[in-house]
Amino acid sequence: MRPSDIAFRLYLVALFTFVFLPILTSMVFSLNSDRFPTVPLGEFTTHWYKTAFSRPEVWTAFGNSLIVAVCAAALSTALGFVTAYTDFRYGFRFKPAYLALALLPPTIPLVIMGLAMLAWLGRLGISGTLSGIVVAHTVMGAPFAMAICRLRLSQMDPALEAAAWNLGASQWRAMRAVVIPFCLPALISAYCLTAAVSFDEFIVAWFVSGLNKTVPVMILEILQGNVDPQINAIGTVVFLTSMALVIVAQLLILRKTNA
Amino acid sequence: MTDTDPLVRFSGVRKTYGTFEAVKHLDLDIGRGEFVAIMGPSGCGKTTTLRMLAGLEEPTAGEITIDGKRMNEVSAHDRDTPLVWQSLALFPFLNVKENVEFGLKMRGVSKPDRHGRAMLWLERLGLKGFETRRIDQLSGGQRQRVALARSLVTEPRMLLLDEPLSALDAHLVIRMQGVLTRLQKELGITFVYVTHSQSEAFAMADRVVIMGHGEIAQIGKPQEIFRAPKNRFVAEFVGRNNILPGKTPGQEIVVAADRMQVSASDPGEGALPAEFLSEEFAGTGIICYFEGPEGVELKAQVTEDQLENLAPEPGQRFWLTWAPGAAHVMAGT
Repeated sequence: MRPSDIAFRLYLVALFTFVFLPILTSMVFSLNSDRFPTVPLGEFTTHWYKTAFSRPEVWTAFGNSLIVAVCAAALSTALGFVTAYTDFRYGFRFKPAYLALALLPPTIPLVIMGLAMLAWLGRLGISGTLSGIVVAHTVMGAPFAMAICRLRLSQMDPALEAAAWNLGASQWRAMRAVVIPFCLPALISAYCLTAAVSFDEFIVAWFVSGLNKTVPVMILEILQGNVDPQINAIGTVVFLTSMALVIVAQLLILRKTNA
Repeated sequence: MTDTDPLVRFSGVRKTYGTFEAVKHLDLDIGRGEFVAIMGPSGCGKTTTLRMLAGLEEPTAGEITIDGKRMNEVSAHDRDTPLVWQSLALFPFLNVKENVEFGLKMRGVSKPDRHGRAMLWLERLGLKGFETRRIDQLSGGQRQRVALARSLVTEPRMLLLDEPLSALDAHLVIRMQGVLTRLQKELGITFVYVTHSQSEAFAMADRVVIMGHGEIAQIGKPQEIFRAPKNRFVAEFVGRNNILPGKTPGQEIVVAADRMQVSASDPGEGALPAEFLSEEFAGTGIICYFEGPEGVELKAQVTEDQLENLAPEPGQRFWLTWAPGAAHVMAGT
């Protein structure tokens, strides 16, 4: 092995250590019998998981997060796909502005977004409800879904859709029979990714969730009370869930595409 | 409606995109069972013409009729004008049989019927046993035949082809030309074939339409276009033609390269002195390039034996002659 290869490998190891060590630490302590995160470690235990998941509010929070993630991901993906498709199919005068606006939400500071959502959803009378969180997370997830769908559509031969019309498919039929099947890997990928975004999102949810807490909001509230290894247990579950979603999304995006 | 009425009629068709005139003015009749090739350099309006016929573009002005019926407002999916695309546009997420069945499915043909007809066409095009293959598991020639089967499975009266052979290897092109001519004769349907390739158009078509700058430059049988180009544009596009000044001012004559004789000594009156430039092997013979009077480029096709006898050196002087009947006087410029 050449020295540059060794250096590169070392760099990769260092990078992954840097990124994942904190999470790994949290996972390790979630299985540690000591109440405080200290070394040497105590004994192996699943106690914290049992305690955490025997609390009804933890289950409620997981249920809330799940409902919100499922709904917000569906809406984000639908919105993102439609936006990407208009970009693919049509040319119009203010297209650059349209695209810039569609991609804007992730650049808005989360605190601002949270406050704005709180004010806006309050007006609509859905602040503090799960629907409110769904709306907020849809806004936040749609740009990611759009980016993924645009990438896939850019690999599509424009003649493919016209070929469907030419063979007797109406515009809607061609959309169902050709465009959506072609984009299916991207749609699933976008769904997983936006579900993960929603599942993990804390700041905006904290502003708009009210009494219907999602998991990240609940974690912070437990943490404000005391240091409790149950947090590590819940955090590990959250991390593994979103990691799984992101991995599925990545696999579908990177899968060899046969356009 | 009789059989002698044209199947397709373009009358005064114009298509503009903003200020760009893709098709300026088109009057064209296409007969039943005819193999028409529309040929021209890129940007001449040939693909736009085909797309208008398929309903993928709407004419800016004029009228297109199929079977005497005005088609301008009929949308693409309500027409019976299947197109074989340059990119083939096969559906990558469907297998071979599903691709072929697509048009039938869209027309609401029942599943057993779809299956039967798809299998028939797959067999007809030598694709039996490939039904469940994915598109990316096929060779270029096989994909080509899937595209043909997909377009023909609905038994249309007319098939549109947009440079379908441009992505194939040379030896496959010849083979597919055979497949296409045979199919067209067997089915007796109209083929409208758009290409920039002279050899494809001349080898297959009953009639060739040469387009340039959004207009028809000439329509005729391949031989007519080759021997008697109407104007300089056609003569140059068809290639291997010598364009020479005629007897009266402004007049031009055309002599095909294969009707030009080369001699090493001056044979007398009418011979054109020319300096040898280079030679090029061209399948049917060897094209010799000369520089004639006033720097005009001249071409003459010779056999290998003739080339050996002449043994031309660059810069060497030769004389070019042609039989009186070989020269064609062009009508316009």
